[in-house]
Amino acid sequence: MASQDVDPQREVPADAFDERIIDLDFHMNPPEETLIQYVEDDVAREKFENVEYGMAHRKAKWDAAWAIPGGNEGLFTQGRAEVASDVKLAAEKFAIDDPIVNVGINNAPTQHNPVQKNAIAQAANDFALDRIVPEDLHCLMMVPQWDVDYAVEEIHRVADEDGIVGAYGWFGPFDLFGDTKFDPLFEALVEHDLPLVLHGSLSFWPQDTPYGDGMLTWTEILGFDWPIHAMLTTVNAIMSGVFDKFPELDIVIEEGGHWWVPFVKYRMDEFYEMHPGDIKMHPRLHEMGQERLQRTPSEYLRENVYVTTQPMAPPERSTDFEAMLDLSMAEDMFLYSSDWPHQTLDPATWAFTNRAFDEDLRAAVLHENAEELFGI
Amino acid sequence: MTEDYTRVAAADELEPGNGMGVVVDGIEVALFNVDGEFHAMSNRCPHQRAPLCKVGEKKINGEKCWNENRGGFTDQPAVTCPWHLWEIGLETGEHEASGKKIGVFDVKVEDGDVLVAI
Ligand code: FES
Repeated sequence: MASQDVDPQREVPADAFDERIIDLDFHMNPPEETLIQYVEDDVAREKFENVEYGMAHRKAKWDAAWAIPGGNEGLFTQGRAEVASDVKLAAEKFAIDDPIVNVGINNAPTQHNPVQKNAIAQAANDFALDRIVPEDLHCLMMVPQWDVDYAVEEIHRVADEDGIVGAYGWFGPFDLFGDTKFDPLFEALVEHDLPLVLHGSLSFWPQDTPYGDGMLTWTEILGFDWPIHAMLTTVNAIMSGVFDKFPELDIVIEEGGHWWVPFVKYRMDEFYEMHPGDIKMHPRLHEMGQERLQRTPSEYLRENVYVTTQPMAPPERSTDFEAMLDLSMAEDMFLYSSDWPHQTLDPATWAFTNRAFDEDLRAAVLHENAEELFGI
Repeated sequence: MTEDYTRVAAADELEPGNGMGVVVDGIEVALFNVDGEFHAMSNRCPHQRAPLCKVGEKKINGEKCWNENRGGFTDQPAVTCPWHLWEIGLETGEHEASGKKIGVFDVKVEDGDVLVAI
């Protein structure tokens, strides 16, 4: 068997090169000066050309740089993909056949000015169409969720282009997607058959709140702020009837953790079954005249929600790992992600070296779920 | 004893600050040149089996990253893994925060050759 070959240079087991691997979270970071060329709005472009774009100008309490030896090394631990050929070169090393590229401007939602933010989304999407898609790479369009009208317009403009397979937005301390103002956005996504792919953002837990101010370590912030927001985003969408109104809509939670799935599954059903009376008071379900959800809450979780795997953070024993995968509905919900080039990079080694994976589960997590969801 | 050692490379094949992967008796070994001093340990990181020999490899567009190369060496002395930057003691093979350990091997340089004892 190939995996028995000894090759010190290999980053992942030899068998990984024989399996199709689709990677749901591969970041590309084009140079700012390149992106600026794609900004159509003259006013916004002039500002980008003359004012540095970066983190919001306010105090920042958390920095991964304090937690690792290389200082600010975490964002580019593996390198920086600026052009499509960089993406291909990096993916090949880790046996990733199909990196679903996002342009990775995760501080976009932290910015205040909507003209600036919308210009970034437009430029990122045109960059993707011009520089990524023609190179036979699949790509996520950026969806400016802070401005629903513009988001819808942008979806109609970009979604049907070849190579665009999903819409990239963010979960976090923003308006929750259960708000009915997002319905036109969901309608547009369903019309174009695009899953909504939500990544953690650099907004983190709101500062100047007792919780935000109380957390001083990166383990709390990246490790737990994101999953908490991810859980709330998921439960909120389910309980507010988003999937009753849009049963065809799929949501992917990227980098928001995955081992919370059993917790949410059982707790959501338990609480809903005991307290179902307020569902009909949600504006969306009220308008639909619905007394109850159409399905058990956990059924929406299994059918309409996906989670990415990075970092897998498996338990030591493969029997425990297998049980957790089973309880987490991994065969239906998990999508492999590497997070290249960040420090939390997660090559798919575990799928080939751990007995928790049989052939079917490996295929589901590494490519089949993504093939079905994105039609690729 | 010299007969326990295997020649793995010429000393001038490996630049300071870099790693090299070799196979001795079917075992993957990472050889490091740290400021002219050679060290050897198991090639697979105790965290998630990254090939430690890739330390010092230039990143894609490395000149535009904070550090130009993957992983590195610290004064501890330790090797910093090219994947997630775990620091592994060159003399102990140990990662302090987790307590996980890998094998370290004796190395010597003779007549311009690097030899490793497994
Ligand atoms: S594999 Fe070496 S630090 Fe993770």
